[in-house]
Amino acid sequence: MKNKALTIASTLVLGLGLATGAQAADAPVYGVLLKTLSNPFWDAMAKGIAEGGHEQGVTIFQEAAQSDQDAETQLNLCNTMLERSPKALIAAAINSSNLLPCMKSANQVNIPVVDLDANLDPAITAKAGVKVAFSIGSDNTQAGAKAADFMAQHLGASASGPVLVIEGLPGNVTGQMRANGFKAELAKVAPGLKVVASLPGDWDAGKAANITNDILQRNPNLAAIFACNDTMALGAVESVFADGRGGKVTVVGVDGTVDGVKSIKAGRLTATVAQLPYLEGIEAVANVKKVVEGQSVPSVIHVPTLVLTKEVLTQGTNPDLKYVK
Amino acid sequence: MATTLAATRTPLTIRGLGGAIRLESLIVLVILIVGLSIASPYFLSLSNAFNILLATSVIGILGFASTFVIAAAGIDLSVGSVLGFSAVVSAISVNAIGLPWPFAILSALLAGAFCGAINGLLIARARIPAFIVTLGMLGVARGAALVLTNGQPVYGLPAPIVWLGQGRPLGVPVPAIVFILVALVTHVVLSSTTFGKYALVIGDNEAAARATGIRVDRHRILLYTLSGTLAGLAGLLFAARVNSGDPTAGTSYELTAITAAILGGTNLFGGRASVIGTLIGALIMGVLQNGLNLLAVSSFYQQMAIGAVLVLAVWLDQINRGRARS
Repeated sequence: MKNKALTIASTLVLGLGLATGAQAADAPVYGVLLKTLSNPFWDAMAKGIAEGGHEQGVTIFQEAAQSDQDAETQLNLCNTMLERSPKALIAAAINSSNLLPCMKSANQVNIPVVDLDANLDPAITAKAGVKVAFSIGSDNTQAGAKAADFMAQHLGASASGPVLVIEGLPGNVTGQMRANGFKAELAKVAPGLKVVASLPGDWDAGKAANITNDILQRNPNLAAIFACNDTMALGAVESVFADGRGGKVTVVGVDGTVDGVKSIKAGRLTATVAQLPYLEGIEAVANVKKVVEGQSVPSVIHVPTLVLTKEVLTQGTNPDLKYVK
Repeated sequence: MATTLAATRTPLTIRGLGGAIRLESLIVLVILIVGLSIASPYFLSLSNAFNILLATSVIGILGFASTFVIAAAGIDLSVGSVLGFSAVVSAISVNAIGLPWPFAILSALLAGAFCGAINGLLIARARIPAFIVTLGMLGVARGAALVLTNGQPVYGLPAPIVWLGQGRPLGVPVPAIVFILVALVTHVVLSSTTFGKYALVIGDNEAAARATGIRVDRHRILLYTLSGTLAGLAGLLFAARVNSGDPTAGTSYELTAITAAILGGTNLFGGRASVIGTLIGALIMGVLQNGLNLLAVSSFYQQMAIGAVLVLAVWLDQINRGRARS
């Protein structure tokens, strides 16, 4: 019985070996390290990178941690990736420090490192002596500000009422930049709209839904909600509808995920500041190829964002819409 | 009592190493190594071997912590959070407070020991089930780590501490060296000292342990304190590896640590445990993960693979155990 099971196990492993043993390796290999794949944003990014690899004629070797909090695992993945000696390393670090040792090793063997989606803190990166070829991503402060601009335009600059901000995971730079960008801009463009609570929803729809429920208890006249990503915005909007206040509370998210777009089309979510991860993936590969070939590229590359509303989606005339997946 | 312990050993264990190491685990590990060497040209190299040891070091040390607690029929669900808490306390002590670098080591170990001692006291003295107490600590320690840091990683540790995580004397990563040393020391403690043997006796039959005069409560407190201290050490290595005290460090590591122990032949219900077995269990997961990464297999399949290997290893053990009994 035991021997049989072991035979099965070894056959499986050896079979795997034969199936994957002969890998064609003519095209240069670029290593790509994402945060996780169980998230539509990173999924779109992965597809964009694959498209970029196709366009540029390079082989993409891609890895991702199991969750976007798995900092050490991602570092291990990164070290393992260097074992394959890629020509470039495109990495979306889970936090501002976890990948720095691996990036330093990459520097030592002259593999250019790309800060995908701008997760690194330039001050910390410099202190660690890590050299980054370029950083690419949306301007998150700008994305938050765009959400505030939209709210002011949607509700009117003279609108007044309480506003809830649902932040990301505590300590995450992206979430902080979006929340801060939103608050600063809102105070400028619609001073009547007051942020009455700014709470961390940990990027989680369920948590965002609970926060929304709680705040609706306290502020039944809530005018608007800004959530730092679409997943949380969708949790919030469902709470608003469940409370019978659908359509009365403006809910804006960030990301432009498939579900976010569906919700907007269904008349639930008011708007989202769409990032274009697909475009970002294509651009990242194209630019790192330039670096590998010795050309110079800007040290910070901003990928545009796009405010999606039901109107924009039904008109379908905006040229950047083709990058919304 | 000695006869009971001997009876729990099966014909397929390697007795020379002084513990219940399951041969099945070793066979699974060897098959994986052979299979992956064929599957990926990048797998079989010295630098990749060190890479695997490095990647396994933190989770492996947590596995040793779990081994001691499970040996005595306990459970410690808080090790992942205690790891994060210790990492943060360690980083704050030398970064924000500015103490000399040895305090990073001392404070990490003390923070871990402190959490572990509280677990032990609540379990042994207040008689709250270990599952509940350590589940509580899982939340409290993680929350404390987030509160202390305001959710932000505390970046920047003194050079000697960074060396502990990133140094490579003669090409060998320091965490890998620490990992192996801790494995050897804790293995001897569990298999060859009264402290370790009492833990196994308590796990085998608590009433009998009390009857023979073992101070079970005191021993439990010590075991949980040891578990916390090892989690503190793992936290120190984690922080040193990434040069920062990350409050989310070690999230959900407790289950991986328990998996390593079980894969290595430790009985979840106590009485049978081996640190070297856990080392093999941790390496099975480390090798599998590394190999699948080199083959670019999606992380989704990796979780399935590890789950399947766990069930397979324990199943083989059951068959073998049944045969030994009859």
